Amino acid sequence: MWRTIFLFLFFPFQLISQVKSDSIFNNTLNEVVVTATRTPRTMGNLSIPVSLINAKTLYQSGSMRLNDILSEQTGLVITDNFGKGIQMQGLSSEYTLVLLDGEPLIGRTGGVLDLSRITIRNIRKIEIIKGPSSSLYGSEAMGGVVNIITNRAGQHTTDASMRYGRFGTIDGAINFARRYRNTDIQLATNYNRSEGYSLKPFAIQKTVEPFWKTAHQFNVNQRISERWKIGTGIRFNNSHIDNSIAVQNLGSTIVSKGFEKNQEYNITPYLQYQVDQKIKSVLRGYITGFHALQKLDVKDAYGSYNDRFNQLFARIEQQTDIHPTQLSTLTFGAGLIKEQVSSNRYDSLSTMRNNQIAYLFAQHEQVVNKRFTIIGGARFDANKAYASVLSPKLSFQYRFNQQCTFNASYGRGFKAPDFRQLYLNFTNLAAGAYSVFGTEVATSEIKRMSDAQLLEQKTDMFSKLSILKPETSGGLNIGVQYIHPKKIHFNLNLFRNDLSNMIVTDVIAFKKNGGQIYSYFNLKRALTQGAEINISKQFSKGLHIQAGYQYLYTADKDVLDAIRQGKVFQRNQSTSLVTRMALNDYGGLPFRSKHSGNIKFYYENAKGFFATARMIYRGRWGTMDLDGNGLINREDEFAKGYLQLNCSAGFQIKQSIKLMAGIDNAFNYKDILNLPGNPGRVGYVDIQFNF
Amino acid sequence: MKKSIFFAFVLVSSLFFIACEKENNPSVTNSTLTSNVVKDLVADTIVGLSNGQPVGVGKYTFFSLENNTVVPSSDSNSTKWDIAFRGTSILTNAGSSGPGAGGAFVYTGTYDELKTVSPDSVFRKDSAPASFAIPFGSNRGWYVYDPVNNLITPIPGRVLVIKTAKGNFAKVEIINYYKGGTTPAPSASDDIKLKTQRFYTFRYAHQSNGTASFQ
Repeated sequence: MWRTIFLFLFFPFQLISQVKSDSIFNNTLNEVVVTATRTPRTMGNLSIPVSLINAKTLYQSGSMRLNDILSEQTGLVITDNFGKGIQMQGLSSEYTLVLLDGEPLIGRTGGVLDLSRITIRNIRKIEIIKGPSSSLYGSEAMGGVVNIITNRAGQHTTDASMRYGRFGTIDGAINFARRYRNTDIQLATNYNRSEGYSLKPFAIQKTVEPFWKTAHQFNVNQRISERWKIGTGIRFNNSHIDNSIAVQNLGSTIVSKGFEKNQEYNITPYLQYQVDQKIKSVLRGYITGFHALQKLDVKDAYGSYNDRFNQLFARIEQQTDIHPTQLSTLTFGAGLIKEQVSSNRYDSLSTMRNNQIAYLFAQHEQVVNKRFTIIGGARFDANKAYASVLSPKLSFQYRFNQQCTFNASYGRGFKAPDFRQLYLNFTNLAAGAYSVFGTEVATSEIKRMSDAQLLEQKTDMFSKLSILKPETSGGLNIGVQYIHPKKIHFNLNLFRNDLSNMIVTDVIAFKKNGGQIYSYFNLKRALTQGAEINISKQFSKGLHIQAGYQYLYTADKDVLDAIRQGKVFQRNQSTSLVTRMALNDYGGLPFRSKHSGNIKFYYENAKGFFATARMIYRGRWGTMDLDGNGLINREDEFAKGYLQLNCSAGFQIKQSIKLMAGIDNAFNYKDILNLPGNPGRVGYVDIQFNF
Repeated sequence: MKKSIFFAFVLVSSLFFIACEKENNPSVTNSTLTSNVVKDLVADTIVGLSNGQPVGVGKYTFFSLENNTVVPSSDSNSTKWDIAFRGTSILTNAGSSGPGAGGAFVYTGTYDELKTVSPDSVFRKDSAPASFAIPFGSNRGWYVYDPVNNLITPIPGRVLVIKTAKGNFAKVEIINYYKGGTTPAPSASDDIKLKTQRFYTFRYAHQSNGTASFQ
């Protein structure tokens, strides 16, 4: 029934038979990815921008944490605000979905999912999908999706590795995988620590304080019969960061000591039923929790500061894949999500805030003829706490010949308002006594304060408070892929994302003591557009060179309108004279680099020796407003662009021991203000035993 | 022939040059319009902490745009002053603030563009404690406060159009809020940011003939 409905709705195409498979594509294009369509597909046959990082690249790059490796990919920028966030096609971390074995990771701070939480020691591959993918994945998949795949089903491996690096960095990992008859078992454990570092000498507070992190993962998969398969994954992640804060106020310094602790767990049971070659169905459960605690003992003050944040995300989902013919695939499913948050940043730790989401999705892929493939799909998310959303996506691939393909896709993405935007109840006593109220609590809080004679006045915005809508985007990607017979691979993708209903804070009232009260509104509209180019060539003597570049333009659309209307001004830094801003004075959204790119060399020989040199460039980016217009426009409002060189080399002793050494940031580039997460040159040695 | 063309060219271009110069520097100055720049006007600078918050003595600095001088606070209840500063708060001499015929509004545009006060302009009067002619608070009147870097910056493109205590027109542009007319770097210590703030640098033009023209 479902099938016919969706076929009728989205794909009134004729089913045509017979397609020859191409053999010319090199290994990368034959690699299988699952994230793009939620079904296994070879890279070369996908009509949306997708890239893949395999285990070998992960190892040879000497990466430890997820942010290390992602920072070397074209078009991805790692930002350093509330942890290491990812920026994709100019969309910030809060609009990018990060999946672990297909399930979303939670525990964001200020919208940022800290990628340094994730070890890559047990990762088999990372798939990166660019462009809105809410049609398959729902909320947060606006800029794209990063899927980290740990599963090593069917392998027999035991390895142990240890690394030592600058700043007392130790990273140890043990991975174990076995197949016993019909049972696959994998175990992985990781310990990571660092003594931190200071970029400013003699500072009381280190730039990065000492920390330790652990990660443990256990997966089991059981084949019950030819048709039935069952399994689960269990993962625990812990981190502990020392914290000391020094506040200087007119000569007196107050030092506070404390720590930050994050605990995370994920449980991923599933049951799979393969009816026959044509129909497969999977029932997945997912429970994940994130618990953060920040504790600070403030000297000579009001006592200790405690900040707790607890989040629970539970989901049950059913997905069915059907191949009605050899040339078509129908994927559909439905799921239920329950989310729960409690925090003393909201009312109190004992008040649980809930949201429930029910969703349906369907996607159909049709090979129309040997040149033309089309995929269409949509997802509907019905939410309890905010308005419901429909996210469609349509994409196609046209193959000119065996070397050259053309891809185009358009998709809608959304991001649900988060709990902070709905329920935050925060007053900062230190900095100007301002308050921020989530939209669900703002009206009652304002009434309470008004009754208590604490308000000076309400602003016009107060009357505009309403139920928050999800932030939405529409994204267009158009790409060309060309494979030269001499192992040259060229890839160009043009993209444009239009974001609307973006949630921003605005002042709803003023307190009698001068403090401002903020709440959230669906007000902002923005755009990001650009081009991404990747070229790679495999030379015969084990040398592989990759180069990539991204051009990015971003803007707040309302700012563009205001500039066109002559309503925006700027102040010259040296003359202090005020002039009207022109469109090309506008530096776009903050933290976006217009130019970024990389060139990477990988060499290896048959004896197991390898060497890599990876140069990553990030062009200048806007950091903050200094001339009072709230925009990035003046030269001094940009951080300088920089070039980072990471290199590594290693060899193998017999089959069982791998040795590696490397230097990250070999040029020792530092920017204390804008890149606090960059400690300068870091050397490391790494040893791995394979049993 | 070539020579005469050359001379003609020189002649024409020098005429053009003279014409341009005339337009840029009007030789006729209106004797009733005065323009001044005021530097480091102290506006209740911070003297210490109270409940962890930096505070000044709490007194306004009164200024006469008519005479380009600071007016002693003993004359606060007179028409000798036109504009008063305390921290980021600016008063005008009318309504709840003084006995003058003053008032103000915030004009959006550049200082130079503001050549006359439009006849339909509405001059607001101070009405303490709820409303002021130049609204108090970040992003409401003349400045924006950056809570991350703890800095006060005048909003570019905001000109304070003032009616003096005598009812004459003036336009004021706040250029800087920090000592020496230089905003501390965002990375500067809070100590420096607190010690150097509340020093106004502003420029103004004052028309003493009672007309609304700043030309």
